[in-house]
Amino acid sequence: MLRFWWPTGVGCLTVVAVLLAGCGGEKDRGAAAARGEYQFLAWHDDGGVTLTTFEDKEAIRLTGDQLGTMFGKGKVPFAGKRIAILVLNSGPKGGISGPLYRLRPAWEELTGARLDIVEVPIAELLNKSITDLRLGGGQFDGFMQASWFMGEYATPGFIAPIDDYIKDKRFPRWDPAWMPPALRALYTWEGKWYGTLNDSDGQVLYWRHDILSDPEWHRRFKAETGTDMPFPVRTWQDVLDIAKFFNGKNWDANDAEPDTGIVMHFRVNEQGMFHFMSLSAPFVVIGGDKVTRGTNNYWFDPDTMEPLINQPGHVRALGMLYELSKCGPPAQSAWDLGTAWDWFLRGKSIFVFSWGDVGALVQDETRSKIKGKLGAAILPGSFDVYDMNKREWVKLETPNVVGNTVGGSWHGVISAKSKNPELVYSLYALMATEPVSLWNANNGWTGVDPGASIHFLPPDGTADLKGYLAAGWNESDLKLYLKAYHDNFFAKTMMPYLRINGAEEYWRALDQNLSATMVGTLKPQEALDRTAAEWAEITRRRGREAQLKQYQSAIGYKK
Amino acid sequence: MTRRGSRHFSKAFFAALAFAVAGAVFLPFYWAISLSLRQQSQTFTVTGLGVPFVQYRPTLANWRAELATGEMQRALANSLIIAVSTAAIVIVVGAPAAYAVARFRFRRPSNEDLTLWFLSQRVLPPVATAAPLFLLIHWLGLLDTRTGLVLLNATFNLPLAVVILRQAFLDLPVELEEAAMVDGAGHGTILLRICLPLAAPSLAAAVLIVIAFTWNEFLSGLMIGSLNAKVIPVHIAGAGDTRGVQFWFVAVRSLIAITPPVILALLAQRYIVRGLTFGAVKG
Amino acid sequence: MRRRGTIQLLFILPAVAWVLCFTLFPLVYSVRLSFYNARVGEPEQFVGLANYATFLHDRRAWESLGVTLVFVACGVTVQLVLGMALALLFHRPLPGRGVLRTLLTAPLFATPIAVGFLFRTIFYEEGGLANGLLGTRIPWLSDPRWALASVLLVDIWQWTPFCFLIFLAALQGIPEDYYEAARLETRSGWTLFRCITLPILMPTVILVLLLRLTEAFKVLDIPYTLTGGGPGTSTQVLSLYAYFVGLRNLNFGYASCVSVVMLILVTGMILVLFRRMRQVYQ
Repeated sequence: MLRFWWPTGVGCLTVVAVLLAGCGGEKDRGAAAARGEYQFLAWHDDGGVTLTTFEDKEAIRLTGDQLGTMFGKGKVPFAGKRIAILVLNSGPKGGISGPLYRLRPAWEELTGARLDIVEVPIAELLNKSITDLRLGGGQFDGFMQASWFMGEYATPGFIAPIDDYIKDKRFPRWDPAWMPPALRALYTWEGKWYGTLNDSDGQVLYWRHDILSDPEWHRRFKAETGTDMPFPVRTWQDVLDIAKFFNGKNWDANDAEPDTGIVMHFRVNEQGMFHFMSLSAPFVVIGGDKVTRGTNNYWFDPDTMEPLINQPGHVRALGMLYELSKCGPPAQSAWDLGTAWDWFLRGKSIFVFSWGDVGALVQDETRSKIKGKLGAAILPGSFDVYDMNKREWVKLETPNVVGNTVGGSWHGVISAKSKNPELVYSLYALMATEPVSLWNANNGWTGVDPGASIHFLPPDGTADLKGYLAAGWNESDLKLYLKAYHDNFFAKTMMPYLRINGAEEYWRALDQNLSATMVGTLKPQEALDRTAAEWAEITRRRGREAQLKQYQSAIGYKK
Repeated sequence: MTRRGSRHFSKAFFAALAFAVAGAVFLPFYWAISLSLRQQSQTFTVTGLGVPFVQYRPTLANWRAELATGEMQRALANSLIIAVSTAAIVIVVGAPAAYAVARFRFRRPSNEDLTLWFLSQRVLPPVATAAPLFLLIHWLGLLDTRTGLVLLNATFNLPLAVVILRQAFLDLPVELEEAAMVDGAGHGTILLRICLPLAAPSLAAAVLIVIAFTWNEFLSGLMIGSLNAKVIPVHIAGAGDTRGVQFWFVAVRSLIAITPPVILALLAQRYIVRGLTFGAVKG
Repeated sequence: MRRRGTIQLLFILPAVAWVLCFTLFPLVYSVRLSFYNARVGEPEQFVGLANYATFLHDRRAWESLGVTLVFVACGVTVQLVLGMALALLFHRPLPGRGVLRTLLTAPLFATPIAVGFLFRTIFYEEGGLANGLLGTRIPWLSDPRWALASVLLVDIWQWTPFCFLIFLAALQGIPEDYYEAARLETRSGWTLFRCITLPILMPTVILVLLLRLTEAFKVLDIPYTLTGGGPGTSTQVLSLYAYFVGLRNLNFGYASCVSVVMLILVTGMILVLFRRMRQVYQ
């Protein structure tokens, strides 16, 4: 009797498993569309169409122009074809991958083709796609990449440029001119376009507007420190002063525990180094018409490829970052994005400087207790900047404020090995059309953050307030948020993104030393010196000449 | 205290100790249950023991959200099929090998060399094998298939089973087998009818371990599986997205993921029972 | 049982052939790659021993090796001792023995990735399970030394059941009469253990030691998801370092070199221990 328990149990489980694995049929929307049966599209007489999103059944209207000439009622230009897109693993209602699911049925009816959405954990995206590309697996037609992958994909020719498609009237229309130059730079490589408008990432400063504009707190600040509260903040020193004051006091009524002045996400080998980049920009980047070692530059000497990461400006900024970190919970050295944001969303920190997701999450009352209390602005600047040309510190009359595009700015690119590049482009372009892009930006859960002129409210852009409000945004939060991002992306001086091969490798070296600094193992100068040495080694290994050429082209340096 | 009394005391003491240990081991799972029943905003706010109903109001929202997509079910099914198939192959191929290394004398290479070689197969770190195995599976045309993953996992775990079973066979007394040989039984019969049943506890342990290792195998699952052959570790790793780790989904997924193997273990532990052996040897 | 011939081969050949098929190629591939500068998108360049020379001067590699050695030494020792103790404890007749034993093996099936994430919430310093229950403010994950302790704790929680399982199965194989005879002479549990149980179990102990050593050296999932190798690089074990170098920095040549170094190290270790085992067995 005993003998049969186990095999029987195992047998049953396996049968169940096989059944589960087998289920899930597929609808051939293309065939239905060819017959004129549409579930997710509603055609209009003027040639326009209203597409319905999957599950939520939201309606997005496109004109015939926006749709492109290859699509129309009864047309299925790509019937019978199938593509696979690799994207990060957020599921059907999560960031970056969600929009693909939402638009898939409508797109399938438009094109007659089939879309496989292959999800991969975010940290493994690069390695899975590169392994496949490098070893000839040919599994994917397109990737939703982060901007720092671009070098690894473009240099070996793994992805296909899309300049011709953009001009082609057959495809859904979107205008690169909507995007600010800094973002356009991320979607191109050595002059060619590879990505279509999608996500726009950059860090801005968020704060608790209700607390910082409360006269009572201004009074107490003055009483305790002897000076007026420097609000609105103009420099990082202001942020530090305010954060120091509020740190350790229970200024938020949501719980009985003391709160902090600021919170950051310093978990190593994740996104901690972006904090350093965005904070240090005003100490390092001087604007101007030309690109030289000391103007519009941050990373390397454009003539010698000498790392500049340990210049006095960078070092002082790291010192400032460290001081600032002491106004936050000590545990933040190990916190990832979500955990750090959770601290802010629960109302336990005055400041946080991070991506557009924060603004969107503040609106979500299952996660946030501070809806309607948000303040936001472009990151503060610095009165002191280190001039890397003159090799001396410069004191300014008004703070040097620098915009940034740190982060992924996730967008789709086409695999050069794909047999259906036009089909892939049609999907990306559909997502980049004005109505769909706006739908993405309105709905925070999509992870597609606003950055183009079509996303901003007048006078900065052409978006309609109603769209955002309908998606649940608080009006005051929204206006400050959009203005902050507009100011950030359209700032006069921008921090250059590291657009060369191996960006992730350079950043990882920086990040590991940064993390050691935050827990006190290394001092700022030593940490950055080590980073510079490691960067020199990376450059040497990857080929100094090739890296130099790429860097010069990336920052637009002309001798 | 009487001798009887002290024996009762020590029995009670050890029982209490056992329960305490089991409780401590179970604590993280309990925490996962507690996490899975909380609202997302309460992930970090509920401290201490996190007792539902007492410290917060439990909700099934996370469970519903996770079970609504077919992802988890497909991953579960894939993992189950792969694990069971791997275990079956490993035992069928590995038990004879273990028996051979335990009972037969090999000259060149020696028994010890063979055992050592088997052991050394598990030494290469995952990153070294990722690319070549990808190539191999691609060449076989088995990318994104369960078969490919079964082949790989069987390879990884065969040495393990051979080494464990070899030790178990070595510990068995030879007399029974010699007696059977005198009666005219072949090696196959001896293996099947005598050695395996006598070594049932170790066999069960080996199977459980192979299933556990296969269940937990991440890197090859990531490299080989994409859409059709997605396994549980890859699905769980996907709970981290652009906004950080979604701990509530991790809790739900890990709880679901652990259920089939634990059921198997429950069924299997009946085999790790005292007295199944050695009644036959006495006298 | 000293028969040679076809039956010998038939029994062992399938296993050997299978393993050989699927592991020879990766081994050769890795060793070969370690002599090249292999990067994505560029043709490979043969560099001879340059990668190994880099390894000698690579501070991060040596730091990782150091972390790995500490991790393996502490972790495996505790797991063996604890596993044995638990096996002895659960070998007794106890109420609910079956369920308790199953509970003890459960951590083995908990996917390391999930465990890493889960313990992030348990070790949450502002009030997770650990600090909440103990009433302390231990910086489990944000202090370099505590982070290593945390990774060790999780590894011990997950892998002690492995030792427990094998030891328990082996204990079941010891005939009761040995103990009956010995109990005529002494009542001490410890003496019984030392003189009967341990000697009989010694080959199994060494086996488990070897198995755990090879696995512990390769550990990747738990440090990766629990601490990311940090803070700084205080928990970056060698396997994690190789992963970053190979699969994230896409420096496949150097990653293969690190792997080969690990291979040599650990195989050497197994060899030494295995010879000792033979001596002990004699």
